[in-house]
Amino acid sequence: MAILKCAALTKKYGRAPALEGLDMAVEPGRIVGLLGPNGSGKTTLIKLANGLLRPSSGQILVDGREPGVETKKLISYLPERTCIPGWMSGEGLMGFYADFYADFDRKAASDMLARLDIDPRAKLRHLSKGNREKVQLIMVMARKARLYLLDEPIGGVDPAARDYILGTIISNYNPEAAVVISTHLIADVEKILDDVIFISRGRMLLSASADDVREKHGKSVDEVFREVFKC
Amino acid sequence: MLGKLLKYELRASSHTMLPLFGLLLLVSGLTNLVMRAANGTNPPVVIQILLTLLTVSFSVGMLAVGLVTVFAMVQRFRNNLLRDEGYIMHTLPVSIHTHIWAKVIVSGLWYTLSAAVFVLAAFLVAADAEFVQDMANVFGELLRSLSFESAEMLAELLGMFILMNIFLSLLIYASLAAGHSLPTRKMLWSILTFLALVFLTSLASRGISSLTVSLVDGITTLIYDGSDAMTAWRAVCAVGAGYLILFSAVYYLITVWFMKHRLNLE
Repeated sequence: MAILKCAALTKKYGRAPALEGLDMAVEPGRIVGLLGPNGSGKTTLIKLANGLLRPSSGQILVDGREPGVETKKLISYLPERTCIPGWMSGEGLMGFYADFYADFDRKAASDMLARLDIDPRAKLRHLSKGNREKVQLIMVMARKARLYLLDEPIGGVDPAARDYILGTIISNYNPEAAVVISTHLIADVEKILDDVIFISRGRMLLSASADDVREKHGKSVDEVFREVFKC
Repeated sequence: MLGKLLKYELRASSHTMLPLFGLLLLVSGLTNLVMRAANGTNPPVVIQILLTLLTVSFSVGMLAVGLVTVFAMVQRFRNNLLRDEGYIMHTLPVSIHTHIWAKVIVSGLWYTLSAAVFVLAAFLVAADAEFVQDMANVFGELLRSLSFESAEMLAELLGMFILMNIFLSLLIYASLAAGHSLPTRKMLWSILTFLALVFLTSLASRGISSLTVSLVDGITTLIYDGSDAMTAWRAVCAVGAGYLILFSAVYYLITVWFMKHRLNLE
């Protein structure tokens, strides 16, 4: 059964549609690139899956259920902005995640913090912006979730940090889970993707395995993306 | 989950509230000491200046403690549930109801503590051995003369205080949730919603005031026989509590609706 499924999913902000009749499914064990230019509806889709927004019509199901308290136990979500509370320390934040998520692996999180030389007793507001982003990613990836929803995890970070982020995702995700990575920076993530979904103006343009896309077009996914979304 | 939310809510808010309370009590204690040092016919100029500064600080602190508490609770709700931190909070496996109750309970606790600190600070300023002895005598006398009815009145007053706390918190939360559902000028819209809710609440109260009068009469006649002061007090409490519960329920539903259907963390 698909871990994430959308059927005729529509979301409008006022009259403006952000998603229009989207049909798609994400299977467990796959790393899926949700690819599209800015404003294509990627973040809206991820927020709908997290229950942060409600559909205008259609349906979105996580493990067969509408988003709610139960589905939130299954999803590990990385928002596109850093939002961890500055008054907490790394230690406190790990306690917070461990308190609310039964699948949080405190040791894994602690090891990842140590590898970055981040003092777990330091207040998060005293860390650099880059380190705060990494701490947030560590908390998300230290969960053994069924579905990881990562919204622009490599947007606005330098190439070295991108490598760290992608490395952290690959070496820590639960292999039985699905990982959805929303981004428009295809070249950096292409190598880790199993499937790709192209989305534009709230509509799905393409959904296929990354290998099929490369084979069919004789080009990399990045090149196909640039062709499809040429201005 | 409510217990876990309360734990983090208390930790987060105590960073603001405890230093504030500590500072006010410290200023009160110092004011008391300097007042006593200045209690001569011709105290030194330094003491006089210090006393003036401390008296002003104490007065400002007494005024500020309530305002700062309300402001801190507004900021806490806004920052934690309606802005960036909301991405973390609203994706926890916790219902909106639990989030709101956690905020109401902790706000109520801080309002109560700020009232207690206000009274304690006033006592600290005035306290000396004679004053403490007098207060002990007064409280001792009060306890000795405590009847069932006066104990009941105290319990009812406490109940009304708790209901007032819930009413105030939910009025603020409903305004913030509605105002922050809009794309721009969220705080301005929240303030306008607050004013509109206060106006509508007062209008609704007036609208049913005639009903209230008959309600008081009804309760007095139906539940208690006789029309002594205690009966009237009970009736007033019952009607007051009814008002507070009714309007709190409306504010609660508004808050839940906006946070479920119109959450806008952008």
